[in-house]
Amino acid sequence: MLRLIFWAALRLVAVMLLASFAGALLMRAAPGFSSDDQELNSGLSAASIEAIRQARLADANIPVFYAHYIAALMRGDLGTSRSLNQPVKQLLKERLPVTLMNLAFALAVGWLMGLALALAARTWNLRPLRFLAEGLSGTFISTPAAALALVFLVFRLPPALAAALLIFPKIYRYSDNLLQQSSDLPHVLAARARGAGPVRVMAWHVAPIAFPQVIALVGVSISIAIGVLLPIEVVSDVAGIGQLAWQSSQSRDLPLLVNLTMVVKFVTVCATLISDAAQRGLMRRAA
Amino acid sequence: MKLARSIAVFVLAIAALMVLGAKYLAPAGYENQFRETPQAKPSSAHWLGTDDLGRDRWSRMLYGMRVSLVLAPLAALLTTFLAGFVGGIAGYCGGWTERFCKILIDLFLSVPWLFLLITVRAALPLNISPPASVAVTFALLGMLGWAASARIICTGTKDLMRSEFVWMARASGFSGIKLVRLHLLPNLRGALFAQFWISIPVFIIAEANLGALGLGVAEPLPSLGSLLRELQDAVTLRPEPWRFLPLAVLIVVISAFQVLLNKQEVRV
Repeated sequence: MLRLIFWAALRLVAVMLLASFAGALLMRAAPGFSSDDQELNSGLSAASIEAIRQARLADANIPVFYAHYIAALMRGDLGTSRSLNQPVKQLLKERLPVTLMNLAFALAVGWLMGLALALAARTWNLRPLRFLAEGLSGTFISTPAAALALVFLVFRLPPALAAALLIFPKIYRYSDNLLQQSSDLPHVLAARARGAGPVRVMAWHVAPIAFPQVIALVGVSISIAIGVLLPIEVVSDVAGIGQLAWQSSQSRDLPLLVNLTMVVKFVTVCATLISDAAQRGLMRRAA
Repeated sequence: MKLARSIAVFVLAIAALMVLGAKYLAPAGYENQFRETPQAKPSSAHWLGTDDLGRDRWSRMLYGMRVSLVLAPLAALLTTFLAGFVGGIAGYCGGWTERFCKILIDLFLSVPWLFLLITVRAALPLNISPPASVAVTFALLGMLGWAASARIICTGTKDLMRSEFVWMARASGFSGIKLVRLHLLPNLRGALFAQFWISIPVFIIAEANLGALGLGVAEPLPSLGSLLRELQDAVTLRPEPWRFLPLAVLIVVISAFQVLLNKQEVRV
């Protein structure tokens, strides 16, 4: 068990470091990296503009920048955002809770809707219910996150609900497929043949088999949710890390983008590792 | 389900006809401005009205569909090629090559796809010519979307490499390109085709997301994504229903792809 945790933690750290390094390389290669908007500010003196240029040049050598970044990270210093002129730690402290709240809401509602519809549709197999579930999931799986955010803005609906509606089709479709596979197993058919009711069959025979596999989707759903929250936060002007990532990319803010990549990687990889471990545990218990 | 598939095929056929016949169906070019009638309501002259610059919305939608529906399959082709290349090499070579490729795949997969796409596109120049913006947008889609498919191809190649007929072929002296051409590629064709088909709607949606954020195809060239930017005006002005038509078209086309996709997945 300890060995597993050790390797998982090692993998997490390696992926995070590699990803943030790749992010830094990308920003360095991006056109316009060496120039700064502030250089056009006529109110700044020549010395200030030169200082800004020197600061930019300090980031130009990516291995050196990254070595300094890691050394500072060890001391708990995440650096300072060039575009917003604030410590990255402070920015993350302000923005992360907003995104996490939206993420939690979106995941809770998305999972609730997806699972409830899949369970209801498979338990009673009613045509109108299936039509409703398929129609809703088909519509939202085909809707771009940014467009849905705009529609939600028009009708003044909460942006987190848009994220929930975009997550729900994945949950519904995956759960529905698993429930269908479990429903076709011989012991389930035998239970039905002996007169067990639909709710009993679902609760005692189908759901317990499908549930451990559904858990595997938790990690993926978190990754999807983070992905859809970025355009939603940008369009709806929500001050979360999605909007921050957008701003940092546009202003080629290297320290901020590297840290944001780290945070996003940490959340998604942790979620995947935890859901994988939970799935393995549940499968072992079921066996 | 048969009815749903028939409807999906019909929808895609209509979309293909609209794309191919855009030149004849559109009453004006996508960049033609009717300066005396900006923001016009739908009429017999302009079926969907005109935008802020007086351009005919119906024409722009037809040409926008052409850009999205022609280039998304090209991006899907690129991503399938990359997935086949990386996944195939990983599965064929095994050992350290496989481990290296898997780290690369994990690296791409551990960042949410949309997050990666938007941050990378935002980092690239935005003040480029419309044809260049089309090339950059769809090349980016193709180059960033291969990781999940590569993992599937890698598994498929590894399974094939362990199969008896491949052992037999190797024992008979087949190796390298001949083995890939005669035994691996024909057997991976189904998986590659499925990955190609799956990527098309994903890329159309991704382009729409980029377009709605102003990072997609540059003006005056339209795409289904860039047409969604007009919805931003609907937020500040009154929500006129015809502004939502490009979104409705997008949803219908993607839904048609999704319906057919289910069949493809089952078949492969």
